Amino acid sequence: MRLWSVIAGKSGMHLGIFLFTGLALLVSNCGKRAAREPFVDRNPPVQDADVAPDPVGHYGGVFKDNSTSDPKTFNPIMAEETSSTQILGFIFSGLTRLNPKTQKVEPALAKSWEVAADQKTWTFHLRQGVRWNDGQPFTADDVLFTFNEIIYNPKVINGVIDLLQVDGKNFKVEKIDDFTVRITTPDVYAPFLIFIGTDILPKHKLKKAVDAGVFESTWSVSTDPKEIVGTGPYKIMKFYSGQRTVLERNPYYWRVDTAGKRLPYIDHIIFSVVSDANAMLLRFLAGESDMYGVRPEEVAMVRDIQVKRKDFEVVDRGPSTSRSFFWFNLNPGKNKNTGAPFVPSQKLAWFSNVKFRQAVAHAVNKQGIIDTIMLGQAAPLHSMEGEASKWYNPAIKKYEYDLERSRALLVEAGFTFKDSKLLDEKGNVVSFTIFSNKGNNTREQMGLIVVEDLKKLGMAVDFRLIDFNALVQKISDTYDYDCIMLGLTSGAPDPASGLSVYMSNGRMHQWYPRQPKPATPWEAEIDVLMQSQLKTLDETKRKQMFDRVQLIMTEQMPYIYLVTPRTYVAYRSKIKNIDFPPQGSEQWNFDSWYMEDVQ
Amino acid sequence: MKTVILRRILLLLPMLLAISFLSFALMSKSPGNYLDTLKLNPQMSQAKIDKMTVEFGLDKKWYVRYGLWLRNAAKLNFGESFHYKQPVWDVITARAWNTFILSSVSLVLTWGIAIPLGVLAAINRGSLFDKVTSFLAFMSLSFPNLFLALLALFFAYITGWLPVGGMRSVDHELMTSGEQFFDILHHLVLPVFVLCFSGVAGLMRLMRGTFLENMRADYVTTARAKGMPEGQVMFKHVLRNAINPMVTLFGFSVAGLLSGAVIVENVLGFPGLGQLALEAFFAKDEFLVMASILMASFLLIMGNLLADILLVAVDPRIRYE
Repeated sequence: MRLWSVIAGKSGMHLGIFLFTGLALLVSNCGKRAAREPFVDRNPPVQDADVAPDPVGHYGGVFKDNSTSDPKTFNPIMAEETSSTQILGFIFSGLTRLNPKTQKVEPALAKSWEVAADQKTWTFHLRQGVRWNDGQPFTADDVLFTFNEIIYNPKVINGVIDLLQVDGKNFKVEKIDDFTVRITTPDVYAPFLIFIGTDILPKHKLKKAVDAGVFESTWSVSTDPKEIVGTGPYKIMKFYSGQRTVLERNPYYWRVDTAGKRLPYIDHIIFSVVSDANAMLLRFLAGESDMYGVRPEEVAMVRDIQVKRKDFEVVDRGPSTSRSFFWFNLNPGKNKNTGAPFVPSQKLAWFSNVKFRQAVAHAVNKQGIIDTIMLGQAAPLHSMEGEASKWYNPAIKKYEYDLERSRALLVEAGFTFKDSKLLDEKGNVVSFTIFSNKGNNTREQMGLIVVEDLKKLGMAVDFRLIDFNALVQKISDTYDYDCIMLGLTSGAPDPASGLSVYMSNGRMHQWYPRQPKPATPWEAEIDVLMQSQLKTLDETKRKQMFDRVQLIMTEQMPYIYLVTPRTYVAYRSKIKNIDFPPQGSEQWNFDSWYMEDVQ
Repeated sequence: MKTVILRRILLLLPMLLAISFLSFALMSKSPGNYLDTLKLNPQMSQAKIDKMTVEFGLDKKWYVRYGLWLRNAAKLNFGESFHYKQPVWDVITARAWNTFILSSVSLVLTWGIAIPLGVLAAINRGSLFDKVTSFLAFMSLSFPNLFLALLALFFAYITGWLPVGGMRSVDHELMTSGEQFFDILHHLVLPVFVLCFSGVAGLMRLMRGTFLENMRADYVTTARAKGMPEGQVMFKHVLRNAINPMVTLFGFSVAGLLSGAVIVENVLGFPGLGQLALEAFFAKDEFLVMASILMASFLLIMGNLLADILLVAVDPRIRYE
């Protein structure tokens, strides 16, 4: 008896602590939210304010969003990945901006511009009365500072500069007066208006860092948020490593609604870090986030819940920008150290034969992949360019699943079938290995289906999964592979962003990168087309040239396309003014969004 | 005793050196580097990649890089994270406190629950209590942590009693300090529960085993024969003898205080060091990985030392010369 009481006393204490904690937690759940005062605009109105066309809403509310990891930097010039750029897009703005809805360039910090008859001299008229989010006025000096002292500064290594050069030569950026800037390009540069919209940075905040040569490490995530100064609709309020980033409205923002009220409507945006996709879904359903990109396998379930709850909407945004494809190694080079060719000569002969590649393209059962792996929530892929893009060429060659056609093409190319094996002219059995990276379930399954499809043609195909880093080495350094399957996201706003893929000397011309001179006539033709489409401002002419590029690509099939998953977005019904563009960010007009339930 | 401690601390240096060398070598020898992800980005120019390669020193041989790292480390400069562009300790300390809170709370709870339960089960061997706890222990041991964490999330979502992951509410900043304290506790319930669930089971079974073993020892019979009260036999003699192997284990758990619980942190979105280290490892953010490994090793060695010192305190038979 005594024994029991001794023990009960001991563990009873722990039990007590446990219970107390639990109780405290339940109590703490009540009355947590402190009342927030509605926003009152006390700052002088912007003289040249931009008027957003969306219906008028009202102030208030918090928009909760997720990101898969922390932002890595708050320096927009140094930001490299989406977890940083997703947030920085709200903090900064540029001279122009691309409206994803119309796919046209719109005025931003510049209210208007004209181009001279030489098509190289651009004059930008800046909005007057625009202020940085710390209240300092924005002028032409900030524009000059951003281009001349940061982007074109040889000491600042940045990725922006490549889009703002023609043939390696910088643009000339000059100040006419406080609100007029003249930018001269060395040659006619077609995507000028899109890329000139790069984020403008404040001279008064960054001049010292640039002069001291420490620009690259300024504005890290540990910088005091008050120091991060931009002209975007929001500013950073607080950053918690590994947890979330809280944004608050920029009270000096330069856009207004049609009633003249300063935007944005929503007070705060909170990006929480949630690395697990299942947790992300549950958080959305539990109301801890307001928007969620539904994965194809979850669509049916989420729709069921939506029917019952009706407090959120699920929208099918159509095929995404994520593309799966594979390519054969067409690199005729040799390993410098061993002298061995990257691809054995008989394999290179197969892969270089366009009929072989076309036969493979006809043999891939895209619909099978869509039905079995993607549960119907995907679309067959026929080109790198998305069908929603205004640059897409609907006349490209499409490869339907047709094994008879494949066999006929292979016979035309000199292959023979023997004992259900495919032999080349010299009697070698056609066999090769497809590499892909580990850790992506969907792609692993896709690879297995492709292997089965190709076996029907008598090809002996091996599918091997290797480490992601090892795969990248094969692609960009060692080139020792037959075939690689990969998925990439490309939502390029302009053909110019595809230069490194299409140009034969490009780094991303994956089947044979960095060619000293075009290896084939069709690659030479694409080079010429890609170069000349850059040198005209006439969009119809550009489109014609880019159409031809897309057609050549699908005739020659250096890439064999698989599928693109459809994207579904779920969002709270209380958010109004959401306007999904055919491609690009769904938050492009976020400054006009408002919450119906707050008054 | 003092010389033992001194010797251990002196041994720390060569040990950390060996660990750092091995980890650096293994990491550099595995294919690829930090820039691989960037290499697949069509918008990234070759010039920028080349510049970054030089800037990060990735063009040098791995042993040269290790030498450079070592030289800086000797001056207590452990380098900058490639990803975050800040000194690695700044990145780590931002997370360390979170992990420490989670680990210490679950450590205290795990031990506080497991030891008494194990003792109780041993004393009442064969009773209903013993059977029920054994059943629960085996059940939780056969339950993968990942699955349990997902179930916990699901539970939170269904009931709405607990937050679905994270460490602080979204509106944490707008609360009073008292509310903030309870907010964190509220968020700790799930991860602590998941961590304790499996931890308690193993420890409890171990405690029960060693306790039973000691209950059969001759000195117990002697003590009982002398008429010593049962409570005293159990708690003064058996417990003190049975606790020895547990003390060593405790040393190891102290080492785990800052290494974080990767699975639980990832699934429950807890902003700890485990998540950070894993992400750094996949991104090949070398210096950040090195710093995490060094810190974990340092704690492991110190935890061992602590266990040895504790052993002396609880067991008078153990003496270091």
